[in-house]
Amino acid sequence: MSKSNYDVIVVGAGHNGLVAATYLAKAGKKVLVLERREHAGGQLASRAFDDGSRFDPLHAGGQLRPDIVRELGLARHGLAAAAPAPAYVSLLADGRRLQLSTAPGDARTLESIRQFSAADAARWPEFVAFMDKAAAFLDAAYRTPMPRLPHVGLAEGWPLAKLAWTLRRLGGRDMFRVIRSMSMSALEFTEEWFESEELKAAIAAVAIHGHTLGSMSAGTGYTLMHNWLNRGGLAHRPVAGGSVHLAEALVAAFIAHGGELRTSAGVQRILVDRQRVGGVRLDSGEEIAASTVMSAVDPRHTLLGLVGAPELPPEFVWETQSIKMRGAVAKVHLQTDGSHGVPAGTLAIAPTLKYLERAFDAAKYGEIAAQPYLEVTTAGDVVSIHFQSAPYKLRHADWAHARGNLEQLAFDTLAPHFPALKASVRHSRVITPADLERDLGLTEGDLNHGQLILDQMFFMRPLPGWSNHATPIHGLYLCGSGVHGGGGISGAAGRNAVQMVLKAKP
Amino acid sequence: MTNNQYDAIVIGAGHNGLIAGAYLARAGKKVAVLERREVVGGAAVTAEPFPGYRFSQFSYVVSLLRPEIIRDLELPRHGLKILPLPSTVTPMDNGDYLAAWDDHDLTRQELYRHSPRDAEASDEYGRVMARAAKAIKPIIGLVPPDPSSLSLRDMKGLLKLGQYGKSLSEKELYQIAKLLTQSAADLLNDWFEFDPLKGTKSASGIIGTFLGPNSPGTAYVLLHHYMGEIDGAFRAWGFCKNGNGGVTQAIASSARALGVDIRTNASVQQVIVKGGRAAGVALANGDELQAKVVISAADPKRSFLQFVEKQHLPDEFVQQIKNFRVRGSSGKVNLALSELPDFTCLPGEGPLHRGAISVSPSMEYIERAYDEAKYGQFAKNPYIDMIIPSMIDRDMAPPGQHVMSCFVQYAPYDIEGGWDDAKRDAFGETVISTIERYAPNIRRAIVGKQVITPKDIEDIAGITGGNIFHGELLLHQLFFLRPAPQWADFRTPLPGYYFGASGAHPGGGVMGAAGKMAAQEVLKDWK
Repeated sequence: MSKSNYDVIVVGAGHNGLVAATYLAKAGKKVLVLERREHAGGQLASRAFDDGSRFDPLHAGGQLRPDIVRELGLARHGLAAAAPAPAYVSLLADGRRLQLSTAPGDARTLESIRQFSAADAARWPEFVAFMDKAAAFLDAAYRTPMPRLPHVGLAEGWPLAKLAWTLRRLGGRDMFRVIRSMSMSALEFTEEWFESEELKAAIAAVAIHGHTLGSMSAGTGYTLMHNWLNRGGLAHRPVAGGSVHLAEALVAAFIAHGGELRTSAGVQRILVDRQRVGGVRLDSGEEIAASTVMSAVDPRHTLLGLVGAPELPPEFVWETQSIKMRGAVAKVHLQTDGSHGVPAGTLAIAPTLKYLERAFDAAKYGEIAAQPYLEVTTAGDVVSIHFQSAPYKLRHADWAHARGNLEQLAFDTLAPHFPALKASVRHSRVITPADLERDLGLTEGDLNHGQLILDQMFFMRPLPGWSNHATPIHGLYLCGSGVHGGGGISGAAGRNAVQMVLKAKP
Repeated sequence: MTNNQYDAIVIGAGHNGLIAGAYLARAGKKVAVLERREVVGGAAVTAEPFPGYRFSQFSYVVSLLRPEIIRDLELPRHGLKILPLPSTVTPMDNGDYLAAWDDHDLTRQELYRHSPRDAEASDEYGRVMARAAKAIKPIIGLVPPDPSSLSLRDMKGLLKLGQYGKSLSEKELYQIAKLLTQSAADLLNDWFEFDPLKGTKSASGIIGTFLGPNSPGTAYVLLHHYMGEIDGAFRAWGFCKNGNGGVTQAIASSARALGVDIRTNASVQQVIVKGGRAAGVALANGDELQAKVVISAADPKRSFLQFVEKQHLPDEFVQQIKNFRVRGSSGKVNLALSELPDFTCLPGEGPLHRGAISVSPSMEYIERAYDEAKYGQFAKNPYIDMIIPSMIDRDMAPPGQHVMSCFVQYAPYDIEGGWDDAKRDAFGETVISTIERYAPNIRRAIVGKQVITPKDIEDIAGITGGNIFHGELLLHQLFFLRPAPQWADFRTPLPGYYFGASGAHPGGGVMGAAGKMAAQEVLKDWK
């Protein structure tokens, strides 16, 4: 192996990998980031239509956690301030629209809800206040390292006690509400607040967005809080010029701190010698040594693909194999002539709770939902459609053949709302879960590197006993979305992992 | 009036009510247990809808009944006799079957026939589940502390819970955490590959809940059923001599011997409140009974929304009880038979007739049955758990004749358009034609048929929503959240009014723990 003087190698230049790398570089470590693709950014990297124009392939918006933006000085490196949240609009069958903003005292929202229920409009402000509190608690939880049970030492016990105190400070009523809501289904949760089906479904859609779950699945109360936290409410906040700017700002900050980024440098193997990490081998055969390796790749691929089962304890392998990765998200991107007729904002096709559940039922049995839950956003002439449920594992077809159906289904579903859309299309791009696995290395096309379900959260993410970002391989850490704090674009997982690495004894 | 004066009144003579009454009487209190119906037993009753044919009308097996209750109340002396229910057979669609016999080697051989891998995994799975059940069992007997309270009692409870947590190994804790949050399907898929095995095992994860095997949280329900214990053996189910009415008759007999005044046809209209305290009850016939404390063993909705006037309870509490989920999901079909059902997979009379016979060919079969229920229909291809009590206890049917009890899921309480006679008939017909697929002679063997829908469970047994657990075993309805946050310690916001039934911790099944713990808490507060 060639000698190197890197302190840390980070595998994968997605936002979590870059956040981790930048913190390490800032702390004075010599860091090398390796990216298999031509461009950094992972899920944030932009793609091109046939005419060369760029679009955001996966995320209609996103915001890194404010303290990360501040600490890494990303504004100095070109990150524009977060845009104000646009409206979140549920498109209903009868042409009516339910338009929601989570800004306090938004009169239009109350008026819009009142079309469906005056009682719901009256409860709305309390609901938003509660959700903000719940999301703030979740944010605090994501910052708190999860200890190994039951031997919680002082170093871990103190932050945990602080977290418990954060929860208690919500007051008895909201504290229990948060605890109860986490394990509830979106249906149960929204029914406790509202009576109008349209409003309940609009909220439930956000709860299941990106997850292979239905409105009636237990634990979608938690995913609602999670998505609310990451979106800062219900609607996506678009990044000026595209989500890729988040990654570009991170790369600029990383380089400014002396970091080194190599693209088109796929890691073929994480090298292990007697349970200790030694470095990595690239697809080219080149080997680079380092005593610490952080992987921003999903845990299953990192451990079973890059490390390899023979290097790991058998029981750990077994547990890693059973991490639930279940991608069911596809995307349809349309390059139009501008006459698409789709307004700005985050638009959802989620008319009823049963509609959402039925869409999930299809995914459950390996079928593409014939009446899918869609979310539509625009960026100028580009219309982007989030398509759910389109399961990674198709029972009666394969993705090479099924991809054409997606576009057609999306058109059919949207035609009643946007009659001009189809005729306005010049180019289109469909991204299936199989594409996500192949192009981005996401096992089973799971955008969150592992489902955000109750048995894979907090101290059980990615695996019980391994929530502290370490692995059985000494010197190998996990910093991607699959670990505690991860899922969505916040950078929390990357930042948490660095804290563990900096604390670890060499 | 003097003979209407008690120390304690218990509303409802189901097993929990009777147990609460018996424990209070055992402590020297003068107790009345009031029952709306003409029979005691609640949902654990034996009925004779057709002369000579006797059925455990609703609940039909025992295993969860706490051993200390059996001991404390000397139930065997009062006629409790539990007969073994030795096997489970799952007929398969290809004409084959999967059996679990009461002989370990035989069972292993049988499973090996279908899947060597599963046979290898099965023992280890059993050990893991038994360990987890054992580890979690102490929590069942614990009065849930209120984590938001700073009172000495709750702090002590939390400390006890913490100490208990420390006593478990890291592995045990993780296993419990996983089991509490996982779906039965995820759990079983990690262990096994053979569909009928997974289907049959996953059924324990959905019984009594309005969830499918793929729903997170069902692994816990599976574990809840794993805690069944007869004579210290985990996962042993039994059948009570004389049906499940035999259980409650034994408890009632023990309670009477301890001096409990059990009154039937005594329908409680309202809890009387004097000076902000529960002071007795008013009956539907106008009688009033006085007592220092009142304990409700009815379901949470009846206990708090019907028996107590709204102004005596905080609005938030009332709202929480309204939010409590009690969606019934199961029904029963009780059949009087002129001959044994002849299963094509194992023709003729055989050992399968003395155990459970389960229609659960795969987890997907059960999941699809759930799908129908969640959209407001009963399952066209339901999960059915059959037992033939007359094979175990010959007194249940006339000589040469049989009774068969079929537990059926899913049948939603909130069926589209509401339950009526036509839908009940259609439901019964669906069950029979499902059984017919595996036992073609069933239809001609039927001499009597009783179909019970969740609505019937509500109407007859008085359980709101017809949920057999008085409230679903959902994560947000367990432990310190059952039936409502801050009121999981068997007390209620109305002083002198206590709550001790399946809707309280630790939840349903013929377990009796809630009744016993409620009585103990009453005694702790006694001045």
